[in-house]
Amino acid sequence: MVLQIIVNGTLSGLTYVVMALGFTLIFGIMRIVNFAHGEFYMLGAMFVVFLFGQTGIAFFIAVPIAGVLTGVFGVLCERLLFRRLVGQELPGMIMALAVSIILQSLALLIYGPAEQTIPRPFSGTWNLFGAVVPWDRTLVAIGAIAILAAFYLFLRFSRLGLAMRAVAFDPETSGLMGVESGIIYATAFGIASLLAGLAGALMAPVYTITPSMGGVPMLTAFVVVILGGLGSIPGAALGGMLLGLCESALATTLDSTIALIVSFMVVLAVILVRPSGLMGRSA
Amino acid sequence: MRKIAIGLVIALLATVPWIIGGRYAFHVATMITIMIPLALSINLTLKLGQLSLAQPAFMGIGAYTGALLTMHLGFPPVISILAGAAFAAAIALATGPIFLRIKGVYFVLLTYAFGQIINLIFQHWTSLLGGNNGLFGIPKFSIAGLNLGTIPGGYYALGLVVALTSYLALRLFETSDAGTICDSLNEDEMLCRSIGADAHAWRVAAFTLSAFIAGAAGGVYAFYIGFISPDTFGFQASVDLIVMNVIGGPTSALGPVLGAIIVVPLLELLRDARQYQLLVYGISLIFFVIYFKQGLVSVIERPRKLSNAGHA
Repeated sequence: MVLQIIVNGTLSGLTYVVMALGFTLIFGIMRIVNFAHGEFYMLGAMFVVFLFGQTGIAFFIAVPIAGVLTGVFGVLCERLLFRRLVGQELPGMIMALAVSIILQSLALLIYGPAEQTIPRPFSGTWNLFGAVVPWDRTLVAIGAIAILAAFYLFLRFSRLGLAMRAVAFDPETSGLMGVESGIIYATAFGIASLLAGLAGALMAPVYTITPSMGGVPMLTAFVVVILGGLGSIPGAALGGMLLGLCESALATTLDSTIALIVSFMVVLAVILVRPSGLMGRSA
Repeated sequence: MRKIAIGLVIALLATVPWIIGGRYAFHVATMITIMIPLALSINLTLKLGQLSLAQPAFMGIGAYTGALLTMHLGFPPVISILAGAAFAAAIALATGPIFLRIKGVYFVLLTYAFGQIINLIFQHWTSLLGGNNGLFGIPKFSIAGLNLGTIPGGYYALGLVVALTSYLALRLFETSDAGTICDSLNEDEMLCRSIGADAHAWRVAAFTLSAFIAGAAGGVYAFYIGFISPDTFGFQASVDLIVMNVIGGPTSALGPVLGAIIVVPLLELLRDARQYQLLVYGISLIFFVIYFKQGLVSVIERPRKLSNAGHA
């Protein structure tokens, strides 16, 4: 029982982390609360519907292509719309809202409000010391771990990753040191969209695909990021795993609406008591 | 002179539904008068340099309280609406001192979470509030034995009274000492506080007023439609109100009024074609945020200043 809760929590926690990382990255670097993050997730899933479901490209190839396409789309959005609003929180938020509802309406125009289904590339379950683990969720978890590892290596060891951390830490000084902020913004937005797109693409066979599917992952990313601290990357990782485990524990003991109310209460309390989150630096 | 002209034009516009007549014209006009106070209430929080996403929740609190008081306790609708608004204001007064310590993007996220909690309570408290199925059978609004449903444009007239009152309240607030203090707080809080302005008290007062206005609009909505459900008071409503403020222009109280007059008919027209409604919303938001930050009102009135240009 306890093991099952931990397994379920880890499986969902890993996808929360992937979503939350992109969200927190954009805020940390551009000071923009990207309300469109859930729609980039939806975009990734829709690309998989097209590539895998309709065109018939193998699932393993369709997922990375879907992620890259979403990432490229993110870079375009950054260059054309968000770049001019860097650092302006309110207009940035409104712009993100605009992108989010435009993407939803385009998905509605193309696919309609009905649920899209694609064949499941995997089914069945396996046993881990008595806990039941579905194969498709396992695949998502493996994908998420691979993504997180690549993301960590990039930030930690590449020159561009170093520059990104520098801009997040102190944009003015890093600018004086010759870091080209435009490239950093585009990279950050591209990576964040890539992560959201990959998460959506991986989850496409597991969850229902609709134009409004981005709402729930957006909400969880938001909760995770508040818990961990807006802009903090370790915070997003910690918050994501915590939320996954708590949800899995609460879902077995409490009604789901009450669980949701409780999680928002926690968010409220965290913002009030410690706005910078569990691991954020004070703004 | 210019002010009188604008006033005359608005007065003329207000009589248009009676000239056109017909139920649909009155419906759209009534919805405009309900949305105007709501758009104004979010505008009032923008004056504090804060964007509150809790206004639809305050609207919902006003709507549910008002409806329940008349349904279960038999209060006259006028009293119920005022009591509902007062209850929303009381909640704002209780939460405001804590919420308003938080600034900028955290305030937005905080009020968002607060709105979600209130909405989840609407959804979950099935026995009293009807849950997701909503609350049915709210009696018609009647005052002094007169049923508003039977008079052509009766609800529209009621809405006009509420909209006009909220507009005047906001104008009064803007031009009073309180408004000036709030403006100067946005300019330079340190300096303003150093000459003795109690920043916090004024902010809480404005937040409470904004909740009262939203609650009153919610009450009118409940009695007009006769049915309320949680999804009316969700995040989508906040988006509608933001669109009205951005299109009309957030710098003056006339802006959201203009915004509501333009956006509400569009909303009603595209009610069954949500995808186009969203598309129009999104494109106009982008256009106004990039090219026309001061909104349509800047064409009529010279904007006083950009109080919400970010840097929160």
